[in-house]
Amino acid sequence: MPAFDFPPLAWWGLPLVAVPLVIHLINLLRYRRVRFAAMEFLLASQRKYRTRVLLRQMLLLALRTLAIAGVVLALAQPRWRSAAAGLFGRGGLQIVLLDDSLSMGERDGHATAKTAFERAKGVAGRIAATATGRGDTLVVASFSGLTAAEPAPLLPAQPASADTVQRGRDALARVATSWLACGPREPLDRVPTLAADLPVAGSTLWLVSDFRHHDWHDAESAAAVRRLSEMGVTIRLVDCGPDATASTASDATTTSNLTLVSMEAVGGVPATGVLVPVELEIRNDGPALVRDVQVELREDGASRAGLQIAEIPAGVSATRRFEVRFLQPGAHVVEARLPPDRLPADDGRLCVVDVVDHVDVLLVADDGADPRSGDAFYVATALAPGTAAGTGVRPRLERPAALAALDLAAYDCIWVLDVERLDPAAVDAIERHARAGGGVVFFCGPRTRADVVNRTLHREGQGLFPVPLAGAVEVLPGPGPGRVPDIVAEQHPVVTGLSGGRNPLLDAVRVDRVMAVARGFDEAAATGLQRLISLRDGGALMVEKPFGKGLVAAVLTTAAPTWNNWARGDPSWVVVMLELQSHLARQRRRAESLLVGDDVRIDLAAGSDENMVDFLVPPDAALVRQVAAPTDDGGFQVRLPTRLPGAYAARWRRRDGTEREQVAAVNVDAIEGRLERAGRERLARHLAGVPFRMDAADELDPAGGTLAGLPLARPLLVGLLVVLLLEQCVALAAGYHVAPSRRC
Amino acid sequence: MHSPVIRGSRRYLRPEVIRRIARLEVRARGVVEGVMAGLHKSPVKGQSVEFLQHRPYVRGDDLRRVDWKVWARQDRLSVKEFEEETSLRLTLAVDGSASMDYAGDGRRPSKFEHAATLAASLAWLALSHGDGAGVAVFDDAVRGVVPARTRGSQLTEICGVLEAPRNAGASDLPRVLRRLADTLPRRGLVVLISDFLDDRDGILRGLRLLERRGHDLAVLHVMDDDELDFPFEGPTRFEGLELPQHLACNPRGLRAGYLEALTAFLGDVRRRAAAVGADFELARTGEPAEVPLVRFLARRTRLAV
Repeated sequence: MPAFDFPPLAWWGLPLVAVPLVIHLINLLRYRRVRFAAMEFLLASQRKYRTRVLLRQMLLLALRTLAIAGVVLALAQPRWRSAAAGLFGRGGLQIVLLDDSLSMGERDGHATAKTAFERAKGVAGRIAATATGRGDTLVVASFSGLTAAEPAPLLPAQPASADTVQRGRDALARVATSWLACGPREPLDRVPTLAADLPVAGSTLWLVSDFRHHDWHDAESAAAVRRLSEMGVTIRLVDCGPDATASTASDATTTSNLTLVSMEAVGGVPATGVLVPVELEIRNDGPALVRDVQVELREDGASRAGLQIAEIPAGVSATRRFEVRFLQPGAHVVEARLPPDRLPADDGRLCVVDVVDHVDVLLVADDGADPRSGDAFYVATALAPGTAAGTGVRPRLERPAALAALDLAAYDCIWVLDVERLDPAAVDAIERHARAGGGVVFFCGPRTRADVVNRTLHREGQGLFPVPLAGAVEVLPGPGPGRVPDIVAEQHPVVTGLSGGRNPLLDAVRVDRVMAVARGFDEAAATGLQRLISLRDGGALMVEKPFGKGLVAAVLTTAAPTWNNWARGDPSWVVVMLELQSHLARQRRRAESLLVGDDVRIDLAAGSDENMVDFLVPPDAALVRQVAAPTDDGGFQVRLPTRLPGAYAARWRRRDGTEREQVAAVNVDAIEGRLERAGRERLARHLAGVPFRMDAADELDPAGGTLAGLPLARPLLVGLLVVLLLEQCVALAAGYHVAPSRRC
Repeated sequence: MHSPVIRGSRRYLRPEVIRRIARLEVRARGVVEGVMAGLHKSPVKGQSVEFLQHRPYVRGDDLRRVDWKVWARQDRLSVKEFEEETSLRLTLAVDGSASMDYAGDGRRPSKFEHAATLAASLAWLALSHGDGAGVAVFDDAVRGVVPARTRGSQLTEICGVLEAPRNAGASDLPRVLRRLADTLPRRGLVVLISDFLDDRDGILRGLRLLERRGHDLAVLHVMDDDELDFPFEGPTRFEGLELPQHLACNPRGLRAGYLEALTAFLGDVRRRAAAVGADFELARTGEPAEVPLVRFLARRTRLAV
């Protein structure tokens, strides 16, 4: 059934189709009289061609009536509902797709102002009401609903009626913005599945969104819109972002917003009673500098001293560290929260600190090493000084020969201290430990044989030793007074506090002898290789490289003050060793940080873990029980999808009767904090060639403008042209045009 | 040649027409009977300037016609027969029915006026050549008649009949032609000037009757330009001039059919005229009267015996 963009034109214009009939009737009354002699020929002609003449006159009248009707209808901009709808007497298909991503929670400015999503729901309601008046079919869906594992609309496709509108309103009332950072591409690609028995051609898609720049900066979303347009879908964009009006929506706009981008434990030894540094990053997404940013902190739900950041310039991220200390082992949740702003959802973040009683590290030293003066002594003393200020590190000394028999997984880090030789089994065990995320530190010394290291540990870069060695060399003292320090700290987290400018702690360190790196070795070409500390002459003293999931560091001098004086009372020694231990162990102890929408995965060991896992999910620690599924590698895995931010605790039992717990922090995607809008001009560029109309939410009139259905104006004009041509031909045939005179 | 005396109105005697036809003659195509000695062959064999033949004397022959020389030579009585040239008796039968009053848009003469012009011109020509001329104006009956004579006042009387007021009624050509065939005293040239919008079978029978009576026939078919071209446009109600017929229509829509029927009618009239040996000429009211007259007279001159 047709509908019109401008119904008044149709209603007022349709009576005009009677004009040709009226003119015809008037002409019948306005004939002139002619007294004519040769009536018999006229009557003969009339008898012979009466039917033809009558048909031509009727056809002419019909064509003229049709022409006027065509003009009137073309001006009224008619549209035809979808073919199926026309066949079965239903209206067009109205598809309302609501953006319920995180950014839609932005408020206009004050706490009680409407959010973008509330405006979007209002738009959906108005569209539903208008669809009811036209007998359309309505379907309402959200971004999150269509990106779920089992996509489902908020309101399935059904004829729009008063009941439908009420059900739609009820469904919308229960819906809030999701915590997801879902973009429009995937929901748009699923639009054709929303109305299974109705073709989408001729339907109208109402994309109600805040059109953020990060969703529309690439071509993927625009390509999805273009695909729908090519299917015959009319595209209507409704901008429900804050301050969206016809005049402002043309330009890209951005509003002020602070976003907690990240927060994680960045080192230290997560042991009971030990201070663990936590680093958080706050980004100023607004156009102006922000001063006096207060950050609230909580540990396991309890408030603690917060942070104050003096200022954060526009577009800049500020990083701050604070320390937490937990006296009990287990997973501890640290939360940070900013003061509420236009988008409160990105003002909070949490991280999980898994605290243990102590952290075991393995010190590997050769037989004969003096436990009181050898490398192991100085390393152990640095890692676990045994003072009241415990480090949480519990070093254990073993001989190289025992390595193969040990369960290296019990140790965060393995310190190999000037070992002459490791047998292949031991090398293999250490490499497996490193690949699994464990840390390894090598110290060199008099027993270190460069050829053995190169052959068994470096293996031309395939092994875990970071660099090939040339052999021990003397480090010559620097010239003259004002001695240049022997070592220089590079830009690396381990030595961050010691790098940059002269550091008195490092000035006192003297290095007399080192294991030189093989000549010709290109450090820059080695994948992932980093320098932590350099020698005065530019040579390397401490390097690291990634190996599997773990990190391997090499210190090219002795731990004991044999080749250097570092460990002899220099406080930087303890700092560097503890930071090195923390840095190497972080990979293994890094708590998994997930984004909302990710699955919490628990890997279970077949034979030692039971396959049932209980999840306590936010916001109120509701219990969700999941059964683990087998994996390809013979283990079991359970996955829990996340829809809310918070701490997700997973508990399961082991076959030995003990319980395990794992806590995952799930946070919102910080990208949603970037509130910069795409703007109409940018959208028009991305959607070049796609016919669309964009309205501001508050100015939208769903009943006005284009409606669902195939536009008929153009085919109507073509038909009108055909009708006019036909009319002229019939008029000529019927003798209504002046014909050349024919004489007898 | 003498100019006939014209007294009274000259309405239908137009100088431009006379000028064009003055040098032509109204020739009889066949033998006609005439009173005066003229150019036309007479079927009556009597004294003549041209000897035709001898034949034996029979009781009752005029003794003045006996060829005494033949008696002297051959001792038998013979009578001379001569081909006598006699004057033409022209009878102009002019249709004065209602249909002849059609005058188109008024810028042309009506068909009757045009027919009367043709008749008057022919009468003048015949009289100026010493031939007799007469006229009969008719509709469903002869309403005015001037027998064919050569009197000096003949033309005036002819014009008088043509100009006399008419009560133009419906035409009945067949009846009028039968009447003419019965009343014309001698054979002559009968020129029928009409639009022939009548019973054509009856007209043919009437013409045949005249032909059998020995008359030389000619037909001047007078039609108005509107009737021939049918140029009407716009909604029109046509009303008949003779019969109570009417038709409201768009003339353009019927034009093709009308012309088709008209063409058939004109051809039919021409064929029927040819069937009785009558000369035929179509005279449009939109063309000068002398044009069809010249064509008519020139043809007759070529065909004259």
